[in-house]
Amino acid sequence: MNRTPLELVPKKGDAPRAEEGAPILVAEDLRKLYGPREALKGLTFTLGPTRVLGFLGPNGAGKTTAIRILTTIMEPTSGRFTVDGVGSDQPDEIRRRIGVLPESLGFPKQITGIEFLTYFGQLYGRTAAEARAKGMGLLEEFGLQNRARSLIGSYSRGMRQRLGIARALVNDPAVVFLDEPTLGLDPRGQQELLAQIRQVAERRSAGVVLCTHHLSDVEGVCDDVVILSSGEVVATGTVAEVIGGTQRNGNVVRVHVPSESIAQAQRILEEVSGVLRVTATSGISGWLRVEMARSADGAPDDPADRNRLLDGLIRANIPILSFDSEGGRLQDVFLQLTAGGIK
Amino acid sequence: MSDRRNGRGAPIWWLVFRRELAELWIGGKALVLVFIFSLVLGVITYVVAANSELSLIPANEMVYETLKTAIAVALFIGLIIGSDSLSGERERSTLEHILLTPTSRRQVVFGKLLAAFTPWPACLAISIPFLRVLSQGDPVWIPAILWGSLTGTTMAIAYTGVGMLVSFWSNTNKTSYFVSLGIYVLGLVPAQLPGKAQAGFFGQWLQMINPMAATSHFLSKMLVNNRHFSEFWNWLLAPMLLALAVLFVLIWFAAPALKLEAGRDGIKEVLRTRFAKRGRLATATALTAASLLFAAPSMVQAQTPPAPSAKAAASQVTPASLDIAIDVDVRHVKVSDKIPFTTTVTNRASETSRPLILAMNIINLKGTGDPVDPEDWSPQRTQYVEALGAGQSATHEWQINAILDGEFVAYMVVLPEPTGPNTTSQPVASSAIHLTVAPYTKLNPSGVLPYVIATPVVLILLMVYLFRRRRREIDTGGATAS
Repeated sequence: MNRTPLELVPKKGDAPRAEEGAPILVAEDLRKLYGPREALKGLTFTLGPTRVLGFLGPNGAGKTTAIRILTTIMEPTSGRFTVDGVGSDQPDEIRRRIGVLPESLGFPKQITGIEFLTYFGQLYGRTAAEARAKGMGLLEEFGLQNRARSLIGSYSRGMRQRLGIARALVNDPAVVFLDEPTLGLDPRGQQELLAQIRQVAERRSAGVVLCTHHLSDVEGVCDDVVILSSGEVVATGTVAEVIGGTQRNGNVVRVHVPSESIAQAQRILEEVSGVLRVTATSGISGWLRVEMARSADGAPDDPADRNRLLDGLIRANIPILSFDSEGGRLQDVFLQLTAGGIK
Repeated sequence: MSDRRNGRGAPIWWLVFRRELAELWIGGKALVLVFIFSLVLGVITYVVAANSELSLIPANEMVYETLKTAIAVALFIGLIIGSDSLSGERERSTLEHILLTPTSRRQVVFGKLLAAFTPWPACLAISIPFLRVLSQGDPVWIPAILWGSLTGTTMAIAYTGVGMLVSFWSNTNKTSYFVSLGIYVLGLVPAQLPGKAQAGFFGQWLQMINPMAATSHFLSKMLVNNRHFSEFWNWLLAPMLLALAVLFVLIWFAAPALKLEAGRDGIKEVLRTRFAKRGRLATATALTAASLLFAAPSMVQAQTPPAPSAKAAASQVTPASLDIAIDVDVRHVKVSDKIPFTTTVTNRASETSRPLILAMNIINLKGTGDPVDPEDWSPQRTQYVEALGAGQSATHEWQINAILDGEFVAYMVVLPEPTGPNTTSQPVASSAIHLTVAPYTKLNPSGVLPYVIATPVVLILLMVYLFRRRRREIDTGGATAS
């Protein structure tokens, strides 16, 4: 079901714009050549409404190329994609259905936030009054209503990022592309923005493509993930699937204790049954890497074994600063899958 | 242009034009450039007016010189603003906003072109009072405004468009400004060629196909020489062709291929999709042919030798039989004063003289007696006398304009025209006029000073007004950027 840009924003519970469960962004074998160099090697994925997809990859992996192709700024060498049922051979129609926050986004500094949003609302075909009302609504949604009449030049970095997302939503897009939206924000600003991104997907039944280097952002807000390395898709699926599918070091845990207790902690952990080896992580003070025995059939270790590790340290009154399973985080998966592709 | 309206709102080009207009004028860039224009024009006007009082440049020449300068500076402003229009947006990372909207690229570029063109009408409006006061009651300022509007508007479209084209294919302002400046200087080069190079066939042709030189030539003929439009209309072809060509290339060829990054994709795509080799060749041939075609009539006109004048056949007289007298001997004057005097040439021979040439000579007595170029000092350097009958006299009015202080002598010579290429003749000199010229400075030549001062002041007041009005529109409180 194709929508014109002037339809109202669907409220929560409204009928979704595409068929129930049907993807609103479908990329099929997208390739891009820069001369002899292949920057994108067959990108294929789908995104459904209300879903947030993390688009990951090291520098030079082809993320920016992919985003520029999907946002019609650049043409693919081959392959195609659809947004809300509209094919990539209709770039103007695609542009009506997408909203984009580019990474290197500049703003005119001599106009106010509301003037900026009104202008872009008008470019999408709204009348001045409609565009202004829409702009005020978005500024309110992103907590900028009190700065609506301030020059953008006086906005902080976080405010500009929020204004950029508001700008990406002036046409009620089916798919929103956000390239590094949390870049340069303080931790609180990052958390607030991620929460807003989640709301954008849920309240508007939109699909969100979140392109970021902050893997914790992806874990916190994304439903799905695509990992690119050297132009190739090396992992795709839900966050849990990607982590589970590549977890090969489930029998290794990492423990962080105060530096002065590290020798004592190492001795205690080596005495726990099922522990094969305990080594101090080189270069990072206070971290211990604990390798544990696998069962005969190679299945992951028994959680009770981990509890015994903690029990030993607690009994010795050693403060435990951190404790996690190696390979159990997206960062581990990312590093493992993109090794060699990092530039 | 398709897709004129996007939905129910205003046309895209109008939205872009208004946005760009606000950024240019309220943002201050155009106002600052126009302010600089008013300063430059003021200085030029003052200098021209001061020179006029010293050397009596006719009013129409002053108007022409000032109009020419006004157009040249305004074109530079248009070129600079055009050069920033797209590469500047690339540099500031704001172009992507526009490219991500479903808007017609042609309308976007057209809206930007219109906005970048707006400094020209402002410059023209500022020039009008200057032209009016410099004309000193001569109605030449009216045709100056008419012809200035026509040629200036054509050239402003062309130069602003050229700036935008350069900007279209540049990723940074540094590149686009540099290239645009080069183009501007190239346009000025033919006017700097030596006089002979400008006068020859190639020189004339070069001037005619150079829109800047052609515009100057056309204005000169219309305003200074009072020639008719029908004689020199072909000098307007180069500016008009350039304007049309630039509009065509910018809006039709280039605009649809507007990209986030210039260069690789930009030029290649435009050429690949819209400018096939055959078309390129045909266009180049057509342009060359057109320039030759419209140059031809002018060349014929330029090469046509003047009709030979009928001179009375007369026998030669000896120099001793000629006499030239001056009615002034000593004068004490100040710079800018005019010294009128009369010469009387008498043929004391018993037969008719040859045709006679009277020439003025002025010598600076300071130092070793340097000669002075009488062209700067007098509207008449030589006068011609038809053959004088026996015992006849001829009187002539002369005027010297004292343009420098010091001690000078001026004297006249009368020279019988030689009878043929293998003969010569003996000039006869008059007594000299001894001039003592005292320095003199006038602060308000031709009454231009109030305009020179008031125009920038009015512009500053306008800037302050716009700034204050803008301050009232926006909320200036709250946090600052971090």
